Amino acid sequence: MTWNYSKKTTELFMAAVQGKPGTHLGEIEDADGFGEHGSIACGDALRFTFSVDRHPTDPKKDRITDARYLTFGCTSAIAASEALCAIIEEGDFTPIEALKISNQDIIDYLGGLPQAKIHCSVMGAEALEAAIFNWAQKRGVDLADLGIDIRREEQEEGRLVCTCFGLTEPYILRKIEELELRSIPEITNAIKAGGACMSCHHQPGGLQDLLLKVWGKQSTSFTQLPVLPMAREALAQPPQEMSPFKFAKLVEHVVDEYVRPQLAKDGGDIEIVDIKDTVVYGRFLGACSDCAGSSRTLKMMVEQALKDRVDQRIRVVQV
Amino acid sequence: MAVIYLDNNATTQVAPEVVEAITPYLTGEYFNPSSMYDAARGPADAVSAARRRIAKLLGNARPNEILFTSCATESNNTAVFGTVAANPDRRHVITTSVEHPAIHNVAQDLERRGFDVDFLPVDSEGRLDVTDFVHALRPDTLLVSVMLANNETGVIFPVEEMARITKETDPGIVFHTDATQGVGKLPIDLRGSFQNVDLLSFSGHKLHAPKGIGALYIRRGTPCRPFMLGGHQEDGRRAGTENVAFIVGLARALELAVERHEGDEGRIVAMRDRLQRELENRIPYLQVNGGAAPRLINTLNVACHFIEGEGILFQLSAHGICASSGSACTSGSLEPSHVLRAMKIPFSAIHGSVRFSLSRYNTEAEIDRVIEVFPEIVASLRRLSPYWDTGRDAPTPEALEMLEAPDMPQGHA
Repeated sequence: MTWNYSKKTTELFMAAVQGKPGTHLGEIEDADGFGEHGSIACGDALRFTFSVDRHPTDPKKDRITDARYLTFGCTSAIAASEALCAIIEEGDFTPIEALKISNQDIIDYLGGLPQAKIHCSVMGAEALEAAIFNWAQKRGVDLADLGIDIRREEQEEGRLVCTCFGLTEPYILRKIEELELRSIPEITNAIKAGGACMSCHHQPGGLQDLLLKVWGKQSTSFTQLPVLPMAREALAQPPQEMSPFKFAKLVEHVVDEYVRPQLAKDGGDIEIVDIKDTVVYGRFLGACSDCAGSSRTLKMMVEQALKDRVDQRIRVVQV
Repeated sequence: MAVIYLDNNATTQVAPEVVEAITPYLTGEYFNPSSMYDAARGPADAVSAARRRIAKLLGNARPNEILFTSCATESNNTAVFGTVAANPDRRHVITTSVEHPAIHNVAQDLERRGFDVDFLPVDSEGRLDVTDFVHALRPDTLLVSVMLANNETGVIFPVEEMARITKETDPGIVFHTDATQGVGKLPIDLRGSFQNVDLLSFSGHKLHAPKGIGALYIRRGTPCRPFMLGGHQEDGRRAGTENVAFIVGLARALELAVERHEGDEGRIVAMRDRLQRELENRIPYLQVNGGAAPRLINTLNVACHFIEGEGILFQLSAHGICASSGSACTSGSLEPSHVLRAMKIPFSAIHGSVRFSLSRYNTEAEIDRVIEVFPEIVASLRRLSPYWDTGRDAPTPEALEMLEAPDMPQGHA
């Protein structure tokens, strides 16, 4: 896999390794804010420090004057660290304002990052957050009073989901929500979870389950094969107390009573081709059969009628 | 900028002699060797001549024991799945923990299908202990698959000895070796020292033939079901129209490797050893992975503690130097090299590992260039590392403690 870094990423990295003036390599001694993220075992680690111009009366009005980093990591991890410090330097922020800097800001500053390197920007945002919490503690600022949710404990507590990178359920759930992660590869790219042994992808309580927990079942309905998984699900739970014969009769009845009259208005009809478990195979006839545009709507109409009146699990497959 | 190519365990430059040999079969001689008309005789003869030459060069094997495939991965898949399918009564497989993914992942797949698989451990130099192997053998063992030389470290395994032990234990156990890194670099005598090896895989593009051609040696009488089904090519053992041009190229490349072996070997090993010595002298906290084990003459795997290999490769690349790394950031997965983890190399070094692999086309001047730029690249990244004290040019005390701690994390579960 060759490099496809943006020009800005390459520039920042090369400036950093060459120690050019204006770069932010280093660690501030007795820093006002100190934060770390990552570890040597995980393959990247960032130590971020900043100092502030202390406001004589109100620590909330402290201004960040200097920000420095030391980074163990790849080209983009080092460039992201440099970007983070540059954003802070250019912004003239109070620490509380700086808390608003997101990993997306870092990505934008870099002019984009390859998908597999998104976690480098997340690492920057995490170390910044840690450093600001550290500043708040030192200066006696209660971030909770400002409506900022301090959720540091969840890293330590909670069920371990990704054992390779030591990431817990509460942390992964929060990141799925915050970063709007919709698939396992997106989770891996952003926070590395599931990127090594991959055993946590589909096991019970694994990443797929956490995605479902946050986004609900709908988010995956487009990627599921339309028929088989439903049929399998249906096999596991047959319609309660209803024989296949009775079930089929009821489907037919609902189609006759509610669906056919609707279709007839437009000169169409429907033929039930087969019923397997809770999957109803139907073919549209007459005017409806030619109407490609409305077939999806028709299918949904039929399905809804059957769901409401026969069984919630019914799916209609157009033949 | 001229490219300095030091990644020959990944792939190699196609030799000009090979290009010359294959060109006729990419132009005028395009006929299908399975066809009946006279025009197809040229390509058909070329395939059988190549088969004869390759068989002869591997120690007078029988030509029909050589099967042409598309790559070493296909050869390995054929060897493993073919053997498993042909021996339904046995359920146990032995391999090593440091195989190429083309065996490692296949073995893991067998595990998921309900087979028992033993992954033999290696020591910190990457060596196998034959005792472990003997302990692992079982009455229901069906296949042993051990690579001839490791692609990442170059460490050579005692395949001849393990094959002999296997056959003396039970002639019914099939012995396979993935010789992809060995063919062309190590002498292979299938009638002599390799007489107990049943299956042997290799590919062309590691020895200056093009990508897209591989071979599998199947000793006569070894039960192995076909993996690719279709036409009757390769006596029905591997369907698919023969890749005539590249088959010719593979034979030519192997011929060149054997012819030139004596001349090339001394020159390559001298360059590799000089590179190793100079880097060791110039860079503190640099370790040579597999340095104490018998190694391929062209391979040098060094680990630079406390930095990440991707940043090293990126800067090497800016100098036109091509190498590879076992770091997580370069692997496509987020996991660092399973080979280095099996060797229990500390994490502080795994991520900073760099592999240089040479070929006959490298020059002393190119090695000079690497010796010139590599130490500064390492230093530049250490200046940025939270684990390195640039003032003292040494690891920070905490990092050092971590390195010496007996419970230093040694790899994922």
